[in-house]
Amino acid sequence: MNLGGYVLRRLLQLVPITLGVTILVFFLIHLVPGDPAATILGNQATPARIALLHHQWGLDRPIWVQYGKFMGRVVHGNLGDSLFYGVSSGHLVLQRLPVTLWLIGFGTLLSVLIAVPLAAIAATNRDRIPDHVVRAVPLVGLGFPPFWVGIVLLLVFGLHVGRAFPVGGYGNGFVGHLHSMFLPALTVAFGIAPILIRSLRASLLEVLESEYVTTARAKGLPESRVLVRHALRNAVVSTVTVLGVNIGYLVGGTLVIEQVYALPGIGQLMINSIFQRDFPVVQAVTLVFSIMVVLVYLLSDVVHALLDPRVRFD
Amino acid sequence: MKARSPLVLSLLLLLVGGAGAAAALAGHDSHRAAAATPKRGGSITIARIEDSQSFDKTNVFQNESIWLAEQIMEPIYTVTADGKGVKPWLATSYTQSNGGKTYTFKLRKGVKFSNGKTMTSADVKFSIDDARAQTKGWGYLDAAIKNITTPDPNTVVFNLKFKWAPFLADIALFANGIIPNHFAGQSRSEFYKHPIGTGPFMWDKRVVGQSVTFKRNPFYWQKGKPYLDSVTWTFITDENTRELQLRGNQIQVDEFPPFNSITKLQHTSGVTMSLFPSTRTDYLDLNEKYPPLADVHVRRAISYAIDRQAIVKSVLFGFGKPANSFLPPQVPFYSKASGGLQFNMAQAKAEMAKSKYPKGFKVSLLVGAGAQVEAAMGQILQNQLKQLGISVSFKQQDTSTEFQNIEKQNYQLGFSYWTMDIADPDELVSFAIDPKGGGAHSFYTDYSNPTVIGLSHQAERETNVAKRAQLYTKLQQIASHDAFLGFLYYSPFRYAYSSKLHGFFVYPLGNYHLEDAWLG
Repeated sequence: MNLGGYVLRRLLQLVPITLGVTILVFFLIHLVPGDPAATILGNQATPARIALLHHQWGLDRPIWVQYGKFMGRVVHGNLGDSLFYGVSSGHLVLQRLPVTLWLIGFGTLLSVLIAVPLAAIAATNRDRIPDHVVRAVPLVGLGFPPFWVGIVLLLVFGLHVGRAFPVGGYGNGFVGHLHSMFLPALTVAFGIAPILIRSLRASLLEVLESEYVTTARAKGLPESRVLVRHALRNAVVSTVTVLGVNIGYLVGGTLVIEQVYALPGIGQLMINSIFQRDFPVVQAVTLVFSIMVVLVYLLSDVVHALLDPRVRFD
Repeated sequence: MKARSPLVLSLLLLLVGGAGAAAALAGHDSHRAAAATPKRGGSITIARIEDSQSFDKTNVFQNESIWLAEQIMEPIYTVTADGKGVKPWLATSYTQSNGGKTYTFKLRKGVKFSNGKTMTSADVKFSIDDARAQTKGWGYLDAAIKNITTPDPNTVVFNLKFKWAPFLADIALFANGIIPNHFAGQSRSEFYKHPIGTGPFMWDKRVVGQSVTFKRNPFYWQKGKPYLDSVTWTFITDENTRELQLRGNQIQVDEFPPFNSITKLQHTSGVTMSLFPSTRTDYLDLNEKYPPLADVHVRRAISYAIDRQAIVKSVLFGFGKPANSFLPPQVPFYSKASGGLQFNMAQAKAEMAKSKYPKGFKVSLLVGAGAQVEAAMGQILQNQLKQLGISVSFKQQDTSTEFQNIEKQNYQLGFSYWTMDIADPDELVSFAIDPKGGGAHSFYTDYSNPTVIGLSHQAERETNVAKRAQLYTKLQQIASHDAFLGFLYYSPFRYAYSSKLHGFFVYPLGNYHLEDAWLG
């Protein structure tokens, strides 16, 4: 099978996956106790007012009728209106999607920028002090929860050390985003980089001991060329899969980082919507999350195959 | 040696991505001069824990929406700074006739909407007729109004169905804010997406779920005000981030920092930490559908056993006061002599002995998951009630579920609170003690005492202030004796803000007049 056919087949798999996700999320969120009407009305929640809102939102109808209406809207590209804001859920998600994509993208980039050189240092200094340091220090970082790392980074670089970065927020324009998203992305990187370092170091060690690397050295190639052109390129193949899996987890794991850095992304939207029992928004966010995870896995598989000609598309 | 080249490249990219951008945007306001008189100009950002839901003032119940809507739409009378009375605002005076059933208001001349059109009596009539027509909103507070007439552009006459003592307080409700006649030619829903009013600020922009910005209304009727060019409200759920952003001058106002950070903020350079007297009162709800709690002696025993001082000290870190009535001191007709039961374990045990449950019973307490204040209070209550033989178990639920179960009376003990919307006790009294009148089964407790309900109705029609005060005092005393709620504490509205911000004042009802705020 060629690349185009493979991608198309994987994209078609999205349909049953997203359908399954909609069924699961729809019924789970409706089964969870808590009422959006009572939440919105607060102390003014009287049975009469709650009944009025339920009727207005269609929540007084049987749940399968509500699901049918929801799916009817979804196939027309309409994810329904937010119960809290009264605006389109799809619009709310699309408005916030760039923030989350920035966070994931920038965080992944920083992870790679941190992991690749450190893994190279560790692998080329096997069992020596640099190797021990590179293996130990990132693991300590991995042990700290992201909300704590976030607060510490904000405190240190937002309020002290020359106030180099803003204390949260998304910023304006490309440079503004780059500036504002640096600390959140670094927090993401602290979570992923240690895993990448370990994976890449192990692969590099294996590759550096292989015969073709010995041949390359015997031909008198400089060590940097051997490492970058011959060893790293082959070692990175397995790490791409590890990275893909971690980005998949990260899609759902941005919630905490968005909260701490006050980033208006879909993770934050998800948390607030769950607390408000804003069913249409929760459903819309989950749908987008599931599509993103599937696409990330697809992308990592494609990159894996492109890097390693032995992998076939089937 | 050369194997380090990827490291060098990475460091360079990191530098470009982070510190490079930092350098490009570097620059902090080091201006610290404070002026003695208000200065015009500048903008502020207020960070809250929750986003605004809607600006339809007639149908929204969320404070984070109401307090913003009030910057745009103003009523004809407004609440005084102590929260206990009303004062002229878009009207200058009123007279009463027809045995107190007719109120004639003279409107302030020269008041304009932010679209430049002059406000007239037709706008007032339209606004209040629209507000009182909202059955799922605040219309019930205008139920006493029979009709509104407009003999001339500067006069509005309200004819009431009956004598109604809280009328002026009701008319000062935010829902009765004045908007242009016929929504300035728009549909109702379109209008409230970017409302127009006479207030100090006018609509600028909103990114739903992120921020709302209002800018100065150039036609504002108070000459020279507002001082600020614009105000932006953001919402930041994490309290630590709000505090850090305030210290980093990214926001100028941090709404409701947690109690445990107050002392620290009071000693933070560049930050003013203010505790404004509020109408917030916190209660322990006792559901009388659970048989032991229907016994007045049990309820009195529980109220006696609550060590309010301990709660204020350990939960509010001393920034509050024990409650002695279901009405807060910032409400008119609150009575110090209400006789609210205070901590006395001997009395508590004596009351238990008189009850049908002298050996105690088991009861569950609804606690919000993640609600630290409720969890801490629950622990204190559990220990104190244990001494009466009452075994308290916790039922943890997320706050939405918790509130739904309280509202459905699917609980035994639970926590709730109230903040006033009008400068009159009637709204809270009806809600709290009249199972039919307030529509909430007496604050979700099922409490019903015909004497108290009768006193409430008498007070609604009694326009003599002294006699009304007597009625409410008596009402509070009986309600306290019945211990239908455990009155816990009164707590202030907490705001931490930049010390460059002046004239920022929060009223006991929670609203603020930003036309007086300025940056020094």
